[in-house]
Amino acid sequence: MIKISNVSKSYVKNKKSIDSLDLEVKNGEIFGFLGPNGAGKTTTIRMITGILNPDEGDILIDGNSIKTNPIEAKKAIGFVPDSPDMFLRLKGIEYLNFMADVYDVPVETRKQKIEELTKKFEIYDDLNSQIQSYSHGMRQKIVICGALLSEPKNWILDEPMTGLDPKSSYDLKEMMKAHAKSGKTVFFFFFVLEVAEKICDRVGIINKGKLVFVGTLEEMKEKFKENGSLEELFLEITEE
Amino acid sequence: MKKILELTKVFLKTSFSNMEAQTMGNNKSKLGMAFLYLFLIVYLGGIIGFLSYNVIDGLISIQQEAVFIGLILLMTIGFTLFQSIFSSINVLYFTKDSEYILPLPLKPSEIILARTNVIIIMEYIVELIISLVPLIIYGVMTGAGIIYYITMLIALILIPIFPVLLISTIVMFVMSFSKIVRNKNRFQLIATVIVLIFSIVLGMSFSTFDEEITQEQMIQLVMQANGLVDLIKGYFPTIDPLTTALTSTSWFEVLISILETIGISFITLIIYVFIAEKIYFKGLVGNLFSGSKKKGKVDLSKNNFRNSKLYKSYIGKEFKLLFRNPIFLMQCLVPAVLIPIIMIGIFALNFKDISQEELQEITSLIPTDTLVVVSVILGIIQFFFMFSYISITAISRDGNNAVFMKYAPVSLYKQYMYKIAPNYIINTIMIILTLVMLQYFLKMPLITLALIFVISMVMSALQSILMLIIDLKKPKLEWDSEYAVVKQNMNLMYPMILSLVNIGVIVLVTMFTGSMGIYVGSGVLLLLYGGLTYLVSNYLYKNQNKLAEKIM
Repeated sequence: MIKISNVSKSYVKNKKSIDSLDLEVKNGEIFGFLGPNGAGKTTTIRMITGILNPDEGDILIDGNSIKTNPIEAKKAIGFVPDSPDMFLRLKGIEYLNFMADVYDVPVETRKQKIEELTKKFEIYDDLNSQIQSYSHGMRQKIVICGALLSEPKNWILDEPMTGLDPKSSYDLKEMMKAHAKSGKTVFFFFFVLEVAEKICDRVGIINKGKLVFVGTLEEMKEKFKENGSLEELFLEITEE
Repeated sequence: MKKILELTKVFLKTSFSNMEAQTMGNNKSKLGMAFLYLFLIVYLGGIIGFLSYNVIDGLISIQQEAVFIGLILLMTIGFTLFQSIFSSINVLYFTKDSEYILPLPLKPSEIILARTNVIIIMEYIVELIISLVPLIIYGVMTGAGIIYYITMLIALILIPIFPVLLISTIVMFVMSFSKIVRNKNRFQLIATVIVLIFSIVLGMSFSTFDEEITQEQMIQLVMQANGLVDLIKGYFPTIDPLTTALTSTSWFEVLISILETIGISFITLIIYVFIAEKIYFKGLVGNLFSGSKKKGKVDLSKNNFRNSKLYKSYIGKEFKLLFRNPIFLMQCLVPAVLIPIIMIGIFALNFKDISQEELQEITSLIPTDTLVVVSVILGIIQFFFMFSYISITAISRDGNNAVFMKYAPVSLYKQYMYKIAPNYIINTIMIILTLVMLQYFLKMPLITLALIFVISMVMSALQSILMLIIDLKKPKLEWDSEYAVVKQNMNLMYPMILSLVNIGVIVLVTMFTGSMGIYVGSGVLLLLYGGLTYLVSNYLYKNQNKLAEKIM
């Protein structure tokens, strides 16, 4: 579970990039988070993952504060950043072993998880090559594998579908659904609105640092234009 | 022409914009940086000026001062050649912006010339450091008139053009015709090895040159230097006219020589552009769109899924990233190991004609159990620390990946320690190497050796931690080529500053405690550096989160 309580963040004086953000992503749900460019999505991800400290408020990951108990909070997160260019000179298998060591994954589990994940994403045969020789999509896949190795309860995925082929994209969506079904959390940042329609239980829309809508897609449609497309709804909400 | 200038500006801006970002801050820190640069410029200029003054003075006494110009031109061309091997490979082939530049509606010659301009401008910076002061001193000491100074400026502009065009052509030739360049890593590694061999040979040849200075008369040395210049002239046709231009007193002769240099450079440029248009893009495209994928089944039985302690895994990762990147390997790791070997090798070569008995006789005269010996060796080790760039680039080398440190479930302090470990390990190897080689000649008592080792290790810890703190405070995380981390990074002067300060401190402690014996002096050094190391590591621990604020 991810609980964001009254979080604010400013980069420059008197201008809040995030303004009193309150949000709870419950166990067992896929939560989609979207907003126009510069709305505060990246700042939000950075604060949830511990990259940035909030000026006010706190973020709890499974009850652990990212401010006061960061190691435990971070252990409960599997984070896929938006850029998959990670440690390009390591071989795929070295990267996964390193991630497994950082996240304390026992040797037996790691063997089984590496096999399972890399075979699913069809990069198993490339594990002996350096990541820099991978295509963008393959890099995305190895980063996803690295993040999911430790079987974290909370997945935080920043535009994870970018660069994935249709099969891998489908597989990842199925994995997200299965993860949520087993009572865990998926916090999912994205741009492609159609994806939200297919997999998100709830969505949050951020604009100019403020959360302007939280709810299911049905609630969104009810609240705004009933018969509008998702794109039209998004535009209406963020242009207010 | 306009497009070439615009493109050059863009390439230069992307190369140097991060340097500006690094030095930005409040007025106080800007003022501090300005003083620091001023100190460095004065310091380097002072050393180069002092050396030049002595050489010119000696040459004037035998009326051979013109030889100095030949030597300076030779040295500048030597540095330009050495430097441009790396800069041309990187600027021409390994900058990230090539992918965005290629689709633009630009003529091939415009891209080539803009890229070449960047390489030449980079060489001007080297020139400013090593050639300007000696040439000014030469002018002052020989009472040269205004013509000399104008010619000097024109000469400084013209000197790097020919060597840069030559090296860039060779690089382009290799990049387009050799199969090895299909693999960027392998090519860079091979280039690294070539440069390594080149630098070792250069070091060794200087050593024999040194030896002859002490043995031969000044006239013979001048003849040798002249011979060397004559030998090189054949390969670098701009040396001759430039030497004439800088040494002649006739307006007409100066003008003709300058025109000759411009003519040679211009013809070379036309040939260069002609060749480059034919071969550059072939190599560039091949390099941009080829990977080094080694397909092969992962053998599960082969320990591929091993479990390591976190510190082993993390430090192992640091070493792998350092070793597998030829630029980082060559610029951060190799100097730290290679320079002590070359310097001690030169020292050993100078002893090569001395018999074992004579050597023992000489070394027996050195009181190896005194503080002075401890201090001198500590000073040498400190000097070698100047070339240890692993810790000062520990964060910057990661670039945007540095953010991993902040979301990994490991305390930042622990990660800092893992990040400085390679610096500490390489320093330790360097300390042991130095001590082993010196022990071979000096036969020091074990206690002296142990004292030096312990103090050096503490100083190494201090250097490693301090340099990491500097990199954390002013990281260079946005770079378009790894080259920028080591060549366009102002932080790299800090190891030198620290070493200079430390050498000063060692001298002071030796002066004040020398009469109290080896143990008191060593004790003071140990306490001082132990205390400082404790303070900085405590600072790092207490400010671990605050120090990482620039990483995001």
